[in-house]
Amino acid sequence: MLADETIPQIRPVRAEAWLEFVQVLTGVALVAFMWMHMLLVASINVDLGGGRVLNLIARFFEASDMTQIGGPLIAAVMLVHFVVAARKLPLRVREQRAIWSHSLSFHHTDTWLWVVQAGTAFIILILGSIHMWTVLTTLPITAAKSAGRIQGRWWLGFYLVLLPMVELHVGIGVYRAGVKWGLIKRASRKASARFETKLALAMIAIGLVSLFTFLVLTKA
Amino acid sequence: MGRTLKFNIFRFNAEDPASVPHMDGFRLEETEAMTLFIALNRLREQQDPTLMFDFMCRAGICGSCAMMINGRPDLACHTKTKDLPAEITLLPMPVFKLIGDLSVDTGTWFRSMNEKVRSWIHTDNRFEPGEEEERMDNALAENIYELDRCIECGCCVAACGKAAMMPDKFMGATAFCRITRFMVDPRDERKSDEYFEVVGNEEGIFGCLGLLGCEDTCPKNLPLQDQLAMLRRKMGFSQIRHLFSGK
Ligand code: HEM
Ligand code: SF4
Ligand code: SF4
Ligand code: FES
Repeated sequence: MLADETIPQIRPVRAEAWLEFVQVLTGVALVAFMWMHMLLVASINVDLGGGRVLNLIARFFEASDMTQIGGPLIAAVMLVHFVVAARKLPLRVREQRAIWSHSLSFHHTDTWLWVVQAGTAFIILILGSIHMWTVLTTLPITAAKSAGRIQGRWWLGFYLVLLPMVELHVGIGVYRAGVKWGLIKRASRKASARFETKLALAMIAIGLVSLFTFLVLTKA
Repeated sequence: MGRTLKFNIFRFNAEDPASVPHMDGFRLEETEAMTLFIALNRLREQQDPTLMFDFMCRAGICGSCAMMINGRPDLACHTKTKDLPAEITLLPMPVFKLIGDLSVDTGTWFRSMNEKVRSWIHTDNRFEPGEEEERMDNALAENIYELDRCIECGCCVAACGKAAMMPDKFMGATAFCRITRFMVDPRDERKSDEYFEVVGNEEGIFGCLGLLGCEDTCPKNLPLQDQLAMLRRKMGFSQIRHLFSGK
């Protein structure tokens, strides 16, 4: 006895529940990796660009095969995350129009944050893949090799784009995952958003300092 | 006071085949304690008797006056003009069927939503008119009441980016909130899987992107963010459980 099927009845899909978990878990795993990665790269600053600490860490990870196994594993996790999260992207022209006109007229921070998250995703996919390919095909990782790349102009520009894109995507991603699953409640939303912003800015700052050290202080 | 308000109002009469959608400009002197309800009525009385918009209670209770006010959905009757800039753009809410100008048909949508959600207590208990009612803990009763305060205005749907991308399918925060209202009610005997039948898909809770447009615009300030997260967890974990129970 339906009055009018304005909202059609659509069968439930059990796999959607699974994919939702896969999306958030791969996302969080990538975030955890990115934070670790940031610390490891920042070790270049410890001896003011001398590279001894970074080389030591890099050698340890390679001697224990963690780089050789972990690198491709991270790439695989990123691929899975991309495929699963891409379900949410407005790929049709009609959806693109809808989300743009909605975001432009509806002045609302969180809606814009999602648009940024979806946009940065594509840039990370492309630049991140290039970065991983380059590093993993020219092992071992050494401070001198990285400095050589960063002192070449193209790679510096490359990293100056990739760094903020990743941190935006990560910062927004953690916040939205928290909101969606209830770790961040109505009562704590404002404080969490402020904390996330600070964290993202701190990460960008650490990244910039490391890039500067590679560019100026480290011998290629 | 003393401002002259400039209104840009969407005009289209869905009943009239000759009507073309367009924006009309109006000017109106602002007066003390003016709401959009007052302003729109004055425009209709003094300038254009064909202007269409909906009102009933003019007290934020009936939910019929929701519209897009400078891009954001809100109740016209509780929006004061002094909180708005002098130039005010009014559009009908998206997603819902347009009747004319600012008037949309939310009733059909909400009726369909309520039927889909099966928005009533499901129980095998026979009602015994002679017996004393079962007692309910006060905090629980208040929690249920809190979720029952939805006035079906449609703002949360008009504010939702996902609903914008999936206009005739996505269920919207009001439906999710309605479901959690029955989930927390011990009198409703439905199991998780029965709720999953209704919301366990991309058109339901898993389609929600967590943009919180709903949370930030609901004029009754319903706890939508927390309900949506609760529903997502309940629905997600109910399916994980199947893995271990093997069916
Ligand atoms: C390969 C490139 C990537 C693409 C295309 C991509 C795409 C996306 C998209 C579209 C979303 C939003 C999903 C939604 O709205 O529900 C998302 C969420 C997320 N992403 Fe990514 N992403 C990529 C890489 C990464 C990386 C490298 C990280 C971490 C360092 C990451 C962490 C996250 C997190 C934590 C979320 C939130 C999870 C959720 O809402 O369930 N992503 N990603
Ligand atoms: S949180 Fe979900 S239901 Fe609310 S506006 Fe966002 S996508 Fe829509
Ligand atoms: S949940 Fe809030 S915004 Fe949505 S229909 Fe109910 S009262 Fe309106
Ligand atoms: S007229 Fe009833 S809510 Fe505005």
